[in-house]
Amino acid sequence: MIKWLSTLNDKMPNRLKSMLLFLGLWWFLSLFMSPNVLPSPLATVTAFLNNDASEVLFHVRMTMQRIGMGFFFAMLLGLVLGTMMGVSRVLETWLDMWVMIVLSTPGLVFVVLSFIWFGMNEFATVVAISIASFPSIAINVWQGVKAVDGKLIDMAKVFGISPRMRLKKVILPQIYPYFMASARACLGISWKLTALVELLGRSNGVGYQLNYWFQLYEMDQVIAWTGLFLIIVLSIELFIMNPLEKRLFAWRPEVRI
Amino acid sequence: MRKSLIKIRGLRKSFSQSSGCLTAIENVQLDIYEKEFVCILGPSGCGKSTLLNILARLDSQYEGSVEVGGAPLEETKLRMAYVFQEPRLLPWLTLKQNLHFVTDSLKIDKESIDTRIGSNLALVGLKGFENSYPYQLSGGMQQRAAIARALCIDPEILLMDEPFSGLDEITARSLRKELTRIWQETGKAVVFVTHNWYEASYLADRILVMKDRPGHIIKEVPVLIDRPRSYEDPRVFEFSSLLVKDFLSLIGGEESTEENMPREVANS
Repeated sequence: MIKWLSTLNDKMPNRLKSMLLFLGLWWFLSLFMSPNVLPSPLATVTAFLNNDASEVLFHVRMTMQRIGMGFFFAMLLGLVLGTMMGVSRVLETWLDMWVMIVLSTPGLVFVVLSFIWFGMNEFATVVAISIASFPSIAINVWQGVKAVDGKLIDMAKVFGISPRMRLKKVILPQIYPYFMASARACLGISWKLTALVELLGRSNGVGYQLNYWFQLYEMDQVIAWTGLFLIIVLSIELFIMNPLEKRLFAWRPEVRI
Repeated sequence: MRKSLIKIRGLRKSFSQSSGCLTAIENVQLDIYEKEFVCILGPSGCGKSTLLNILARLDSQYEGSVEVGGAPLEETKLRMAYVFQEPRLLPWLTLKQNLHFVTDSLKIDKESIDTRIGSNLALVGLKGFENSYPYQLSGGMQQRAAIARALCIDPEILLMDEPFSGLDEITARSLRKELTRIWQETGKAVVFVTHNWYEASYLADRILVMKDRPGHIIKEVPVLIDRPRSYEDPRVFEFSSLLVKDFLSLIGGEESTEENMPREVANS
């Protein structure tokens, strides 16, 4: 029995172990609390499965759409501004202050302003999400562009490599790590903000559902929708970001500290 | 009459600084002939790298005339390759891909590129490491790869900027030996910048000695030791000692240049 447990322990990935430990802890705590405060994991899943599947899918799709659009425009804005700031000292001094200001302004401010100026619609939603999430990208790309190794560019020039190939093979690979870091940060901010926007001014989406069930004081649903959100975000990380990173950075030595 | 590959006349280069104008090199004349191994030798800051960067077309702001292969530098048809002080390999590419990076823009067919890359890696002793990434290799091996990269564009002129100064003495020694072998096998003209007097005496057919403020060539000496030379050859040692002594008497001072002498000379 003990031997069986220890082989199981060896075979199971740490991530799974920590997940199971968390579920165990949740279940244990729920034993001592009212289901209105902390329902058990099983009760939560059951409550969630009682929802209409097509409706769940609809809300998830709306949320994903908003995150996707916001993320896309934030990336666009951040990449352009970050590159400009990295390349030109003049533009850097013109822009850096504003990027910092936007970075430290609470996302809520942009949500409220956007709703007032553009009305409570999808356009305003995407504007608010993009504006609030672009600074983290701009800052990362800005630093990435500044850190580009001029010695490697000189090498490429000496060997007569065309500007297009220099960009593709020398400059971009140096910026990818910064780009990945900024994409992660941006994704984190944009989904948090999407939930906030949906809670404040949309009539669908995961954020809206969270608020709805909170008003009804149905804790199992609140937790279930949160869990759903977490699963989606984790899937993006595990099935998109991680493989992409592995592919891009296969050449890097493993870091041992 | 040997064919002249590089012809420089009245070359001057100055950098504008906040405190005024700094003249890096002034009135440099030199000729480099085909198949010749020339060392440009001098203490740090004498403008030897500036000179090499102009030749490599990294720096186009200069006065004077620079002709390569009978045409102005900007229009030359001759290929020049560069080996830097550091390997400067692209870390995200394998050795083979690093070599492809510089050859793929050449107008030759894919098959002969592949053969050329294979034979050049073999020439520097890196056969079997085609698919290794630079970080998996030692500094000496990386520098070998950089030499292979330079050779595989089949340059008429090979420019080298202190390529062995970042390596330990044993590795540097074996690479110097190999470089002379490769040079004799391939017959390229080599312009080799160094601050190491012994290295220059061992490698060169001809040494151009430079002095700073502003950088200019103060002496030109042929090295008449027959090849193949041995690194421990007393004639090389004697030659470099004389060269250092001569340099010191020319600039009229003993004290400031001690650090620029190769260790072998300093210890004797």
